[in-house]
Amino acid sequence: MEQSLSEFMAGNLQTFWEMTGFYNATWEHFVMLAVGIFFLYLAIKKDFEPMLLVPIGFGILIGNIPFASGMEVGIYEEGTVLNILYNGVSAGWYPPLVFLGIGAMTDFTALIANPKLMLVGAAAQFGIFGAYMVALALGFAPDQAGAIAIIGGADGPTAIFLSSKLAPNLMGAIAVSAYSYMALVPVIQPPLMRLFTTKKERVIKMKPARAVSQNEKIIFPIVGLLLTCFVVPTALPLLGMLFFGNLLRECGVTTRLAKTASNALTDIVTILLGMTVGASTQASEFLTLETIGIFFLGFMAFIIASSSGVLFVKLFNLVLPKDKKLNPLIGNAGVSAVPMSSRISNNVGLEYDPSNYLLMHAMGPNVAGVIGSAVAAGVLLSFLG
Amino acid sequence: MKKNILLVIIAVVACAMTSYAQGRKGLCINEVMVQNDSSVIDDYGLRHGWIELYNSTHAPMEISSVYLTNDKNNPTLYPVPLGDVNTEIPPLQHVIFWADSEPNKGTFHVSFNIKNGETIYIFDADQKTILDQVTIPVDLAPNTTFARKIDGKGGISQDAWEVRDGKGDLTYITPSSNNIIVDTNTKVESFRILDKNGFVLTIMAMAIVFSALLILSICFYIISKIGEKISKVNKLKAQGIEPSELPKGKKINDSGEEIAAIVMALHEHLNAHDQENTILTINKVKRAYSPWSSKIYGLRELPRR
Repeated sequence: MEQSLSEFMAGNLQTFWEMTGFYNATWEHFVMLAVGIFFLYLAIKKDFEPMLLVPIGFGILIGNIPFASGMEVGIYEEGTVLNILYNGVSAGWYPPLVFLGIGAMTDFTALIANPKLMLVGAAAQFGIFGAYMVALALGFAPDQAGAIAIIGGADGPTAIFLSSKLAPNLMGAIAVSAYSYMALVPVIQPPLMRLFTTKKERVIKMKPARAVSQNEKIIFPIVGLLLTCFVVPTALPLLGMLFFGNLLRECGVTTRLAKTASNALTDIVTILLGMTVGASTQASEFLTLETIGIFFLGFMAFIIASSSGVLFVKLFNLVLPKDKKLNPLIGNAGVSAVPMSSRISNNVGLEYDPSNYLLMHAMGPNVAGVIGSAVAAGVLLSFLG
Repeated sequence: MKKNILLVIIAVVACAMTSYAQGRKGLCINEVMVQNDSSVIDDYGLRHGWIELYNSTHAPMEISSVYLTNDKNNPTLYPVPLGDVNTEIPPLQHVIFWADSEPNKGTFHVSFNIKNGETIYIFDADQKTILDQVTIPVDLAPNTTFARKIDGKGGISQDAWEVRDGKGDLTYITPSSNNIIVDTNTKVESFRILDKNGFVLTIMAMAIVFSALLILSICFYIISKIGEKISKVNKLKAQGIEPSELPKGKKINDSGEEIAAIVMALHEHLNAHDQENTILTINKVKRAYSPWSSKIYGLRELPRR
């Protein structure tokens, strides 16, 4: 039977219409698009972690454009451009690359000068495991609970790395939650710091850190890698890259590599990581009661982590000599939101004594928190992976 | 020069050791059937005895040039041929060799048959190193297999093996598949049952995190003390003082505060600021014209807040 030209055109237009986003859209798509736009609003207008929330927010828009399956454009369709870019998240190699950049950016001097501050970084990791217990109580499976709890480490790449291994279906919500709360650190932490400290404690002046030799700075990443990864080899991808980046920075003969790792490479990976994590958030996984639970648990984890850091310093002061007491206001910096939580320690400290600069003291537990959260992720992966 | 040669030798030895460590030690025999009347068939539709090999590592393993044999004195009886892409076993996967004494049928048909009571060996490419071996029980019944209880585990101990007749729930015959079928994450299930509130994991995990950072902390405390001592000795030497001459209990302050104070005082006294604030320098900047860098053809400047 011969087909008329009008029928032919109508058929093609019908096919085209069925391929459009308007035809395939559901209300869930529009909710997700609204979520994406909300994140862009927070990032651009409110300055909430813009470097991360802009890629994530726009990624949510990319990932939730409705289309008919089989068009080979979706992030979960094998071999598509987005799918290839998403491999860095699903196979877990973007977060270690970000850690390489973090290592190349981080100055561990404050920690090397006062190694006992590492324990403050360790104590703050209680936020992760406290949230793990709460997550179990809310009915999450142990592996999901572990993936959610890592939000308490306040470390986006670690959260993405661990959730991609333990609970890939929750990764989008976990990443968004982790970065959202990191942006809210200046709002969450100061009230807790004031709640758990007395006025007398807030004005404790710490001794200035001693000078650290270049040799010590070079030895730190080597010894740090060997010791931590012998204890928790599962943290090797994160810690290996972190310490490698730091060695590039400190050894003095690879300045060019350190610059690339801390600038161009980190920027490229951050763009791809944020965008693909955003694009991986699909309505079926994101618009659930579980997501609300994840956001609640993330909040709990941040509160527990910040509080336990402060309380640990108070406890630690009981055994420290009088002239070596620590200011508990640096305890919040045990979470690894570098350097924002250190800045908060400094700002709150200055409120009570304008001559008491805590920034460099807080950097110690802050960078220890980066190591601590990577170790904690490795431990969770060993137990639950 | 001698020092450099020594370093090169050490590097070469280290590389050689690394390559040895990456050998094919994870290759093992995983399941064997001698008389096959009702089990799996080969690509010609025929049944033979078979030997299942298992790559117990987490990396792909190329097995061409290893040797399979049932005669220890003839380790090269069947060399696994080169040039077949199928001889690369994926991580934690299996491959079956047909013991039909017909190597002309393809890569996976070995040049010998197997019998009860025989020992099967895998020799590495050096024809000396035995990668794995198993002795088939003399009374292995037809259509039963002799299989590892857990895939790839137990080394050459015969206790790690069991006879499987395919009749019971736990005695599956599993050619090209895992001997143990795991349908849940046992670790997660154990935690779900035995540690319902997460208390045990929390204690264990916090202990590990604390230990790791405590060890690092102690290590750096020691390193810093050694560093301090060395720098103290160097400082004294620079001042022409022997460390032994320094009175006991006298400390050298190296916080940098004193130095900073001296520098500040000198700055104030000498007004030793460089003069860049008062000098205006105008240099003509020459740039070769290129349309690629021309602002006329550019889009526009990036918006700034």
